[in-house]
Amino acid sequence: MEIEKKAPPPLLMSQREGRLVRLMGMAGEGLLFLVASLSVFAVLFIFYFIVRDALPFIKGDYIGEFFSNSKWYPTHEPPVFGALSILYGSLIVTIGSCVVAIPLGVCSAVALSDIIPFSWRQGIKPIIELLASIPSVAYGFFALVVFAPVMQSHGGTLLVVGFLIIGAPVLGIASLLVGDMLSDRFGDSNSGISWALIPGAASLAILVLVSWYLGGIQIISGTNALNVSVILGIMALPTIVSVSEDALQAVGPELRMGSYGLGATRAETLVLTVLPAASSGIMAAVILGIMRALGETMVVWMASGNAAIIPDPFYDFLSPVRTMTATIAGEMGETARGTQHYSVLFMCAFCLLIFCFICNLISEQVMKRNRMKLRGEI
Amino acid sequence: MNLNSRKVIDGSFTAFSGFSIAVMGIALVVLLGPIISKGIGAYIFKGTVEHREVMLDLFQRGNKKEIAREENAVQKARAPLYQAIDAFSSELEDLKKNNPAQGYALEADFAEFNKSVFKLLGPRPGQPEPQLQRDRFGQTRWDGALHVLGQAVNVESWDYSEGMGKKVFKPRAEMYKGTKLEPVFTQYLSEDYARKMLEPEWTFYYGFFTDVSYDAHFFGGLWPEVLGTLYLTFGAMLLAIPAGIIAAIYLVEYAGDTKLVAFIRSCISTLAGVPSIVFGLFGLACFIMDDSWFQISRTASVAAGSATLALLVLPTIIRASEEAIRAVPSSYKEAAMGLGATKWKTVASIILPAALPGILTGIVISMGRAAGETAPIIFTAAVTVGKPLGLDQIFSQPTPALPWNLYNLCTEHEAVDEIRHVQYGMAFTLLAIVLALNFSAICLRARIAKKLRG
Repeated sequence: MEIEKKAPPPLLMSQREGRLVRLMGMAGEGLLFLVASLSVFAVLFIFYFIVRDALPFIKGDYIGEFFSNSKWYPTHEPPVFGALSILYGSLIVTIGSCVVAIPLGVCSAVALSDIIPFSWRQGIKPIIELLASIPSVAYGFFALVVFAPVMQSHGGTLLVVGFLIIGAPVLGIASLLVGDMLSDRFGDSNSGISWALIPGAASLAILVLVSWYLGGIQIISGTNALNVSVILGIMALPTIVSVSEDALQAVGPELRMGSYGLGATRAETLVLTVLPAASSGIMAAVILGIMRALGETMVVWMASGNAAIIPDPFYDFLSPVRTMTATIAGEMGETARGTQHYSVLFMCAFCLLIFCFICNLISEQVMKRNRMKLRGEI
Repeated sequence: MNLNSRKVIDGSFTAFSGFSIAVMGIALVVLLGPIISKGIGAYIFKGTVEHREVMLDLFQRGNKKEIAREENAVQKARAPLYQAIDAFSSELEDLKKNNPAQGYALEADFAEFNKSVFKLLGPRPGQPEPQLQRDRFGQTRWDGALHVLGQAVNVESWDYSEGMGKKVFKPRAEMYKGTKLEPVFTQYLSEDYARKMLEPEWTFYYGFFTDVSYDAHFFGGLWPEVLGTLYLTFGAMLLAIPAGIIAAIYLVEYAGDTKLVAFIRSCISTLAGVPSIVFGLFGLACFIMDDSWFQISRTASVAAGSATLALLVLPTIIRASEEAIRAVPSSYKEAAMGLGATKWKTVASIILPAALPGILTGIVISMGRAAGETAPIIFTAAVTVGKPLGLDQIFSQPTPALPWNLYNLCTEHEAVDEIRHVQYGMAFTLLAIVLALNFSAICLRARIAKKLRG
């Protein structure tokens, strides 16, 4: 067979061709840039559409009572749009979830980065990922169908167990510290453990008394702020754990080595050296966790009881509450476009959006400073 | 501080942090345990003869002759119960004349009792067919049958003497002492005899996944919801994957260190932080309202929901792809450049293939997220009851979807307690889909890690 002979392509492009290639490259880059800035447009349009539909409310007559009144009767005649109780509901639920998630999350992050052997970590990471991947409606289903009835029938027991889980280790370590201080002041230097018996007995008494008190409480409704706080706390855990673990890893071995070299134990190294160095990263993790809890809809909608009231007394976690997200989800379907009720729901969304936006900015700044600090630029 | 207590504190600190990890593990088990164990119960359960009849009547599935034979045997077993009830009916008429106080009290309760029997066994042979589909069959599941049996045998009442209400059960047999109904409770409403009346058998109901549902989920399966979830997920991915990967390529390979690029990055993280319900409202205002420039459909539709979900998962995909592209060794790129490839050619033929497993991991994780999100689709795509959609309807019709219908079934359904097994089954199905996706992502990542280690 005869092979057709082709002229080899010229090694150098002609000027025109070169210009074309460069132009095409620029056009392609422009296209890439356009697609990349889709997120920018998305954020802008989210703000635009939410503000546009919230504007009638902001301009209307009810904006004053939105932040000052706690009565929410949007369908009454005349309507009352006092969102205070709803804002407070969001607040109390978020605080509750922080109480659950922050200590557990930070401790887990410390354990993952410094305490647990490396080979185990690969087995534990998937647990965190699975917790993060469970859909919120499944959490809500659990809270409503499994957790709420248990809470209603065995409320006292559940409270006691929860209190012991948090209280016993904290009081134990506290009594050790106090015992040590006592032995420093009064005894010889090697009897810290025996001196710890005094505060130990006191904490035991506290534990028993509080447990006895909590055990007597009957929970009237299982769908309440406590239920939601616990579930939201667990939902926020993966975010807090993974972000603060990154922060702890970023501290680097030098500080740890230095601390060990000075004779500190592992606990002292972690608490006195590593955690302060990673504090800004942990702060960012906490903010992200708060955002997750505040913006969550399904769990609070299903399991918070949805009563637009400020609990009495205000710290009563066993009372049903209602949050902003649940209000939007629950009432949007029943409103008509153009009414004040419709706009007020967009106003709630706007509040959420602004809050999350600010949180995001703060956490971004914190993380940026943290990176610069660790690189030694500040 | 002295050495001993320092050691003790150190040890307890270690124990405490290990304990917090354990709490996470326990939380996962406590959360998944009931949903998985009871959710499997929606697929594998002891089905009664009524279940087999439902299958035959509504889905034309099963052996006709066999079921007719069973039906015969079952009716034979039920006949004495019905006879005893009829006998008591006429006795009750006499009792009302002779002893009105007892007679009328019993009449009210007898109606309750009859209702329970009706719920247990379905309509009697010869009775006109009830209006509601759910009344045309007895209990299809043996666990449900046992529950109703308990209601027939015992009177439930609430005792408020201790402040909080407490359920009290009183056997009906005592109430009907001396009447013709008394033997019924011991003879025909025992568990053993009920077995003869309902013939429970272990059943694997695969149709729970592939059947449509009848009468607000009293019968049938989840197919419309499953299909809707698949549509929404793939629709969202169709939009988000190209946009996400291209954005990641631009950010890693082309973007300089300018203010504009920093702005794009902070917009991406803002987008990631927007609460999901706000996405829902945005989708409603942007894709559905008439005065929007981007209107997709006039009512909620699959396409509008997909577009909303796409924006929701976009940051996740961008970040995962960015990370994957960054992880490609720079020697690859340098080699390609050294051979004279253009930048685009390097990206398309060297970097992307090398980063593909990492990108895939991100995609699979965000698929799980899109499948499980509820809040963004409430106003943009979801509907409570619906048929499985055809591909031509996705731009105009809303669809049922697993997460939304799970919410709906366990809060707004008219008989929440009676369809618990459907709720658990739905939660289990949703979890199975999402966890399978995430599990494959974890495996994929493990393989990449292995490959990188050589």
